[in-house]
Amino acid sequence: MEQFTYIGKDMKRVDTASKATGEALFAADLTFPRMLVGKVLRSPHPHARILAIDTTKAEKLPGVKAVVTAKDTCGDRWGVFKYTQDQQFLPTEKVRYVGEEVAAVAAVDEDTALEALSLIEVQYDILPAVFTIEEALAPGAPQLHEFYENNINIHVKIDVGEVEKGFSESYLIREDIFQAPEDAYFQGEPYAVAAQFDHAGNLEIWMPNAGPHLKAKPLSNVLKIPLNKVRVRKITIGGAFGGRSEIAPADVICAFLARKAKRPVKIVYTREENTVCTRQAHSMVTKIKTGVDREGRVKARDIVCHMDGGAYSSTGPIAVSVPFLCMEQAYRMDNVRYNGYRVLTNKPIRGMFRTHGRAFACGVDIQLDMLGAELGIDPLTMRLRNARQTGDYTPTKSYVASCGMTECIQKTGERAGWKEKFGKLPPYHGIGIGCNSVQTGFPMGIRGGSQAFIKLNEDGGVTVITGVVDNGQGNDHMIVQIAAEELGLTPDDVQLINADTEVTPSDPGSYSMCETFIGGNAVRLAAQDVKKKLFKIAAEFFGVREDQLVAKKRKILVLNDPEKSMSIAKAVRIALSRNESISGEGSYWPNVDSKREWVKNPFGQLSETFSFGAVIVEVRVDPETGQVEVLEAWAAQDVGYALNPKVIEGQFEGGLTMGGQGGMLSEFLQWHEGRVLNPTQLGYLVPLAIDMPKIHNIIVETIDPNGPYGAKEAGMSVAMSAAQAYSGAISNAIGVYLKEFPLTPDVILKAIEEKEHK
Amino acid sequence: MKEMKQRAITLTINDEIQKMIIPPNRTLLEVLRDDLHLTGTKESCGEGVCGSCTVLVDGQPTRSCLTLAVAMEGRKITTIEGIAQGDKLHPVQEAFVNYHGIQCGFCSPGMILTAYALLEENPSPTEEEIRRAISGNVCRCTGYAKAVEAIKSLTEERR
Repeated sequence: MEQFTYIGKDMKRVDTASKATGEALFAADLTFPRMLVGKVLRSPHPHARILAIDTTKAEKLPGVKAVVTAKDTCGDRWGVFKYTQDQQFLPTEKVRYVGEEVAAVAAVDEDTALEALSLIEVQYDILPAVFTIEEALAPGAPQLHEFYENNINIHVKIDVGEVEKGFSESYLIREDIFQAPEDAYFQGEPYAVAAQFDHAGNLEIWMPNAGPHLKAKPLSNVLKIPLNKVRVRKITIGGAFGGRSEIAPADVICAFLARKAKRPVKIVYTREENTVCTRQAHSMVTKIKTGVDREGRVKARDIVCHMDGGAYSSTGPIAVSVPFLCMEQAYRMDNVRYNGYRVLTNKPIRGMFRTHGRAFACGVDIQLDMLGAELGIDPLTMRLRNARQTGDYTPTKSYVASCGMTECIQKTGERAGWKEKFGKLPPYHGIGIGCNSVQTGFPMGIRGGSQAFIKLNEDGGVTVITGVVDNGQGNDHMIVQIAAEELGLTPDDVQLINADTEVTPSDPGSYSMCETFIGGNAVRLAAQDVKKKLFKIAAEFFGVREDQLVAKKRKILVLNDPEKSMSIAKAVRIALSRNESISGEGSYWPNVDSKREWVKNPFGQLSETFSFGAVIVEVRVDPETGQVEVLEAWAAQDVGYALNPKVIEGQFEGGLTMGGQGGMLSEFLQWHEGRVLNPTQLGYLVPLAIDMPKIHNIIVETIDPNGPYGAKEAGMSVAMSAAQAYSGAISNAIGVYLKEFPLTPDVILKAIEEKEHK
Repeated sequence: MKEMKQRAITLTINDEIQKMIIPPNRTLLEVLRDDLHLTGTKESCGEGVCGSCTVLVDGQPTRSCLTLAVAMEGRKITTIEGIAQGDKLHPVQEAFVNYHGIQCGFCSPGMILTAYALLEENPSPTEEEIRRAISGNVCRCTGYAKAVEAIKSLTEERR
């Protein structure tokens, strides 16, 4: 492998010093002269017709500068897809969940804004509501929308190979149902948005986002202003985990308030609003039937999954598909049928979550354990026998260019001492394994590719301009690292302008794990474009060929002739004096099948490449209390190539914590008639430092042929494998396979008691 | 709305004297963020659980969202803006940067101040003591491993 200066090295991130000093500004930290406080009035009913909204009293309250309702909008319906345009930012006819936006005010301070909300009179005609998948699908159930029959929002149907034949040839078949309630993103930063218009009608807006361009287009549509007047600005973002990708009603409402008040407005969500009124993760019921041969190889699989999507589509078609697609990537399954349904209920809206589909992933993985137990084959061997391999095609026809699934399973197994432990641990002591795979950017229409510019300055420093956004995972650093490496500069020589729609070109956003692969490749190509121009000048100057040159230490060097070198600054000055362009451009469009569509045509190349991961955990269960002590964890992922190993380890550790420790032991939303009972930090239990076991990180590198330096993505396959490892280990410890998640102490105690009664 | 009676207070924040007139129900967090624009102190849960609003009051980690500013008269308050020496990061800040204890950074100011106070009180904490100390600071990104390593690097044995 080529010798790199920065790539593959542990580097401290360019963005974290300002976070350590408190200088980094998040959206809620912004203030502007004459800025107003925005507050949102929300529906107290899960399902109701809006008969009238009277804002007269609120408008008359001193200090109130603007009140907006649906009347101030054109009633546009938003949807990620043309066929899912079902959500109005301020509804005109009905509210469909407790917490839905109804009106909003901007006032001189928070107290005045809150008092104004209390003065808005809304007349509702309360309608019957549905709160569960069963209720929503029952004959004669109240319908949320006119255009989704039987409250079925999305149905994805995939049928590959000969499923029935596969079952008839199977040695052993099992059918099980796995389920889990909703979980919450619980980003550290509660949602916040600040907006202002300038004298020329340009909107400047700041909010946590997973793609500034994904926010700008719908804002342009709704505000009826061209895209070049919508300036979604860069801001530090306090975590996304899939939950900041779409336009949010608060964005639109804040912009409407700012336009009406002719003053800057800031809306800062409370923790409760962030839990209820942004996005939640789907609850899920997954029925899985799997047939295997005597060696445990899967001959056929039939999956029916129902997801509770809440009141609107959000990213519905993607959400229904992804849990299945991840698993069809991770494991070979030639004969497979999938029916995924997203069902609408009068509950908050569900989106794509970092560890989306714990009931699905646990289902597929735990069922392998169950089948293996009947066959006398251990879980690790079951996975090795079914693991995806390089050069395979997935059932839905994606070519797998590089795959380290087997290596991940083997290495975690070796490091964890699987052979010495499985089946040999003392009572109530268990070990479990989970595997999964994720994409590195799927087809995203016009925004599927990324473009980047690089501007050189006469002192040899550069400014990189890219739409890539950092949600906290380190994307800013990744871009700087790549540019510095390619151009032979130091990270200090690279200035970054990113995630600002006024300046930065199109980019998919930090969505579908694509920023390293797509955004990183675009920046690398832009840097190579610049380098080519610099080398042309230097080659002429030294009378050598361009391929005899390298860029290192701010210089252009002639290989094997250390006497000959030129500073990059000098080459830039030569270009400027000759009136030659010295800026660079790069763009990367991933090799995905543009004809692939989530519902109508779920076949073709889904993502240019895929990452693969395996997690093993060892636990001890207290049979008296049902408490789980996690002793140690091992996390492995095929990341392609580790650009910055410490960043990757941080992603493994964070993903395991969220997906396993939180997702399998403590995190779930509780409900009463469509109301979330535990939206606060006290009620929703996210893992603490004292809960966490020692985590061993195992980076597997397969050098993807097309990733930047062979890189894929930095840890999502670990995040998506952790829940299975946790549930497998607990099942192993107590000797009962559990199918309802998360595995809280009461669930575990009940399972132990039932086992003892048998 | 009835006007609440205002109170004059003098606060010592990061060694600077601040004279202010505030309503008695104003929290320290509101005074820091909204009145003094010391926005390094964050609000995440608003109910004293997450630790994002942690500041030091006479050296003790304190939830500023649950603390009334009027009760801080005569106390010494340190926020995240107050521990670096000019351009030089405080060793705790530097360790969090060097050991990748920071991802999104929203919880970092609170966690760094908690670690700062821990090390002032106990220069050689065990891993268990470190984990206990920062268990009042919720982080959604890192899984805590790298933050613990950062703090460990500063213990007396490791220096």
